[in-house]
Amino acid sequence: MFDPEHSLSVTQDADRLYAKAREDGIETVWERHTAQQPQCGFCDMGLSCRICVMGPCRVDPFGEGPQRGVCGADADIIVARNLCRMIAAGAASHSDHGRDLVEVLAGVADGTAKGYKIRDEAKLKKLAAEYGITTDGEDVLVLAGELAEAMMEDYGMRRRAINLVARAPQKRRELWDRVGLTPRGIDRETSEMMHRTHMGVDNDWQSLLLQGMRNALSDGWGGSMIATEVSDILFGVPTPRVTSVNAGVLKKDQVNIVVHGHNPVVSEMVSQACTAPELLALAKEKGAQGINLVGLCCTGNELLMRRGIAMAGNHLMTELILSTGAVDMMIVDYQCIMPSVGQAATCYHTKMISTSDKARFPHMEHHEFHPDNAEAKAMQVVRTAVENFVNRGRVFIPVEPREAMGGFSVEAILGALGGTPAPLVEAVKAGKIRGAVGIVGCNNPKIKHDYGHVTLTRRLVENDILVVDTGCVSVANAKAGYKMPEAAEMAGPGLKEICRALGIPPVLHLGSCVDNVRILVLLSALADALGVDISDLPVAGSAPEWYSEKAVTIAVYFVASGVTTHLGPMPPITGSMNVVNLLTSGLNDVVGATFAVEPDPEKAAVFLRQHIEDKRRALGLDARRV
Amino acid sequence: MKEVIVHPKRCVGCMQCMPACATAHSRTRHLVSAVLETPQPKPRVHVGAGRFNEGFPNRCRHCDPAPCQLTCLTGAIYRHAGTQTVMIDPDRCINCASCAMACPYGVIRFHEDPLGPPGRAVAVKCDNCVARVAEGQIPACVEACKVGALTYEERDTAMKRQTLAVARSMSSGAGEPVLPPGVGLLRTMKESQVQLLKG
Amino acid sequence: MKYVILGNGIAGVCAAEAIRTLDLEGEIVMVGDETFLPYSRPMISYVLDGSEPHDKLPIRPADFYESMKIKPVLGQRAVSLDVENRRVQLADSTCIDYDRLLIATGADPRPLRAAHMDLGGIFYLRTESHVRQQVAALSTARRALVLGGGLVGLKAAYALLKRGLEVTLLITSGYPLSLQVDEIAGKMVLDELLRRGLKVLVGRSVRAFEGNGVVRAAVTDTGSRLPCDMVIIAKGVLPSRDFIPRQHIHVDLGVVVDDHLQTSAAGIHAAGDVAESVDISRGCRWVNALWPEAAVQGRIAGLNMAGRPVVYPGSMSRNVLRVYDLDVLTLGHANPGPEEGCRIVWSGGPGKGRYRSLVLKDDILVGAVLVNQVEQGGVLCALMENRVPLRLSTSRLMAPDFNFACLLP
Ligand SMILES: Cc1cc2nc3c(=O)[nH]c(=O)nc-3n(C[C@H](O)[C@H](O)[C@H](O)COP(=O)(O)OP(=O)(O)OC[C@H]3O[C@@H](n4cnc5c(N)ncnc54)[C@H](O)[C@@H]3O)c2cc1C
Ligand code: SF4
Ligand code: SF4
Ligand code: SF4
Repeated sequence: MFDPEHSLSVTQDADRLYAKAREDGIETVWERHTAQQPQCGFCDMGLSCRICVMGPCRVDPFGEGPQRGVCGADADIIVARNLCRMIAAGAASHSDHGRDLVEVLAGVADGTAKGYKIRDEAKLKKLAAEYGITTDGEDVLVLAGELAEAMMEDYGMRRRAINLVARAPQKRRELWDRVGLTPRGIDRETSEMMHRTHMGVDNDWQSLLLQGMRNALSDGWGGSMIATEVSDILFGVPTPRVTSVNAGVLKKDQVNIVVHGHNPVVSEMVSQACTAPELLALAKEKGAQGINLVGLCCTGNELLMRRGIAMAGNHLMTELILSTGAVDMMIVDYQCIMPSVGQAATCYHTKMISTSDKARFPHMEHHEFHPDNAEAKAMQVVRTAVENFVNRGRVFIPVEPREAMGGFSVEAILGALGGTPAPLVEAVKAGKIRGAVGIVGCNNPKIKHDYGHVTLTRRLVENDILVVDTGCVSVANAKAGYKMPEAAEMAGPGLKEICRALGIPPVLHLGSCVDNVRILVLLSALADALGVDISDLPVAGSAPEWYSEKAVTIAVYFVASGVTTHLGPMPPITGSMNVVNLLTSGLNDVVGATFAVEPDPEKAAVFLRQHIEDKRRALGLDARRV
Repeated sequence: MKEVIVHPKRCVGCMQCMPACATAHSRTRHLVSAVLETPQPKPRVHVGAGRFNEGFPNRCRHCDPAPCQLTCLTGAIYRHAGTQTVMIDPDRCINCASCAMACPYGVIRFHEDPLGPPGRAVAVKCDNCVARVAEGQIPACVEACKVGALTYEERDTAMKRQTLAVARSMSSGAGEPVLPPGVGLLRTMKESQVQLLKG
Repeated sequence: MKYVILGNGIAGVCAAEAIRTLDLEGEIVMVGDETFLPYSRPMISYVLDGSEPHDKLPIRPADFYESMKIKPVLGQRAVSLDVENRRVQLADSTCIDYDRLLIATGADPRPLRAAHMDLGGIFYLRTESHVRQQVAALSTARRALVLGGGLVGLKAAYALLKRGLEVTLLITSGYPLSLQVDEIAGKMVLDELLRRGLKVLVGRSVRAFEGNGVVRAAVTDTGSRLPCDMVIIAKGVLPSRDFIPRQHIHVDLGVVVDDHLQTSAAGIHAAGDVAESVDISRGCRWVNALWPEAAVQGRIAGLNMAGRPVVYPGSMSRNVLRVYDLDVLTLGHANPGPEEGCRIVWSGGPGKGRYRSLVLKDDILVGAVLVNQVEQGGVLCALMENRVPLRLSTSRLMAPDFNFACLLP
């Protein structure tokens, strides 16, 4: 229930822009969330089923009304099927994003993707080697072509396992083989998940959930991982750099272009176009001091990581940012773009551009970007943006921007550590760093904007737990000031010491939401260094404000990889206590990790600290009482 | 006499009673065709959100004495002798909304209704589905409610059932009858979420 | 037992009906000035605006008196009351004895003191016969003048506008409905009427009328001449209590009643527009001349008279006005003075299509104004009647999604 007397966000720019948006008569996600109350309890509990047309059906959680769907599925089956379909959708989203990057890689190889190139040959070679492609002496473009081909095979060809699973620690791989979780193909697991959840296929809620985990792993060690790695090859491996964040990154005297979405394929080209001398000259002509490209959500994270481009906000800021009146153009690709943003923009001069053949939106102009035309398209839309500068009305930029450091790829972190994880392992062993938590995920109007992220981060860092973050969380923490080396002051004494020694902030920005795989890679390196499984490490995951299907999939591949993971909002599973119990405790015996649900980040922090100390104890390290 | 009894703790907020009620008060009485009617039939039960966003099916309580009846400027509101239902005569109603400030539950709406005079807005509220009941059916909202938040029974029967449930769980040592664990779990989470939103 | 009820308005009717639920035998005499069947007085403005026919006015069937075994004495007023001898005297000098008496004589329009009031085309708006004459006069009327910016004045102006007349509204205070609503809501109503063509003159009153048999113009206190061929005077009402002996019965503005609606004289009750009871939200005596109050008071007075003690919780001002696209609902002490120490919160306003203000005193809701989306007004009203400190924030109460469920524990 939304109470206008209480602020909606812990951030000042959100509160001020919200007031402005309401004054301008814009309907936001909060109004719509209020209008949806009460939300359907059947759906909230996972007890409604729309899978077939003998239905729709629902099961009475009080035990008196119908207990089975028309097909005979009980609460356990219905809940499990619904959850599994969420996993499949999430996996499909990330993996399809990955596929688009492989297409560009193939296009670079055959010369059709003009404007794109191989930026990181070393990484290309490393990946090619991982895929068993001989690299010596081979031409870079030929190599790229072969790698693209091999990666595409991960999506569809008959395989025992997808390639990058080999990156997981051996113990983990053995466990997956034993339990039957090793993903065999990226698209295959998603297809099989959809098949199994068809009426009359898999009607054992436990085996459904096992397939759900395999499906999620096909994303985490497959589609998402390919997305990240190929992005690195094409656009460069991120390195630490300082940039600025919050709504204050918009500039009154410059053409402001906001990129929103997830895929760097479009935003990278836009970013190139923004530096084109002819367009800069045009901007001057129109009275602007320059062209200011800023990011929103994960496509913003991609640019921030690799180019140090400023970040305007996360998921719940995407409508609000328009109410600055300072956005001359918003360019979107796909995922998490609320269908409402186009409507909100109609109140201002902002031009809205959709770019993907897969993603269209009301009140947007569609300019389809493909690898072969992206360079030219980018020039064309940026020109339109520049020309739109003169149409601005009143501009309201609510705050001054804040500095933040991003770009911590695994390579960069290991680089900072001197090339090996050893110093980190030593710090953990010595107890200076108690452990690490990856805080990831979205925003959700059910949680005060950024409150979950920032509160949890604060509590963990204070207690000497290193935080790595991605996606919307990284924006929240950057706005809260955790991303500069000076933030070490906010850390507990042990973590502070390490951060100071290395000159890093206590919260490391690992990238966008597909970049959660960087966490998997990092954890594998740590586990290998210690000679243990990932599930033995004093680490955890958390998604305090998650909302999306992609987030479900990420959480599931974290847990299936051995990382116990906290969720803020409750997933729609309470209709089956069997499913709840399996996910929150039973899985420990299967994959050595579980889920925990707790909306209150203060309580979640206590849980996560406890978990980390328990893991330390089990490793024979010193353990604190929480 | 059977009546619609609301068991608020059971409402899951699915709002299924709303289209069911609207359909029952349409001319065609089928959902698919009812949505195409002009004027559109509207629900007379309103699922509102409580403090923790829990659902609450709000419908006329058919009060006795009925404040709306006492307030009605035209005598349009009367009590149906057989069923004790508080009814609004759409032909007497002048759409003055005086009853809106009398009803302590806020269940009266004002709009043109398929069953009212054409071209004119009138006060509309739950009529206990007298027409359906006369045809031997149970009220539409009760039929639609799959969690037992709305039941159609003698008040006595409902009371007895409740007393029995309490007695059973007390004697089994469970104390007050508790919600099913999944329902309880979700509510705790939602309450906590809403508390945090305000904090 | 012989019950005499003075006044056959809604208070008298409800009292008679309540008596009959408890006492099937007792004699009931109803004295009424108007000879028409019990009818909906508020509905007369709907007859004036043409949305309802005159013959829909009655709110009780033609055999009402008969079926209730009531002896109607209609067509004349009670002129004096002998409290010691329990006797009422009528205009034609007949006397009626009583065991129990109810004063439900309602109110009369506050008279206007101006020259040439006897000209044709000058009306008050209080009874079915007034409206019958007004409707008859409509065919020749083009320009109307309405005096008074209260509820009845606005309804009259709205009705005549709807009938296609040129209407000028004269109000003495700064904005219409100043007794019922605050300035913002008053302005929203005024804007709506102005948009529809109403002319408004503020701060002026009428000194005299001119005409030849029928009115042709009004002369204001500033000396200006306002041409018109129809005038409706709506300067408020005064309780009809001239015949009541003040040495026996406590009369203030209205007849003062206790919490059983009994006057200061035993065996004599009062109800409706004539009665002065305690106003719940103001916490002092007040005449709330309103239909719902008259109905409830009549019912409770009747029950008490027939021997069942029922407490009357007090009255509260509340009203709804619907003009064109605007619904205005006011509750309680909606427009307190600055000296009263109330806290006022509001949201919306002109141009927003919606306005809500809440008046609080020590965290208790004592007044509210709602413009549009008025369906939940009754829930607020119930909160005010309960007089418990608010548990919900005022912004919740004002939110568009506010509903009864928000009040549940
Ligand atoms: C145009 C108009 C619109 C209105 N709109 C609203 C509205 O929207 N909402 C609302 O709440 N209220 C409204 N009212 C007010 C409402 O009509 C009165 O509050 C209500 O009618 C009071 O009822 P009553 O029985 O107390 O008095 P009345 O209706 O005044 O009835 C009293 C009767 O007693 C008769 N009488 C008077 N003196 C004597 C006597 N000495 N002996 C015998 N008989 C006598 C009178 O002629 C009258 O017939 C409106 C009034 C008018 C005129
Ligand atoms: S409409 Fe409201 S006041 Fe009237 S009977 Fe129904 S619940 Fe009671
Ligand atoms: S709106 Fe209709 S039912 Fe309600 S008080 Fe007015 S006339 Fe009566
Ligand atoms: S009883 Fe009938 S009219 Fe009343 S709420 Fe239920 S479905 Fe609607």
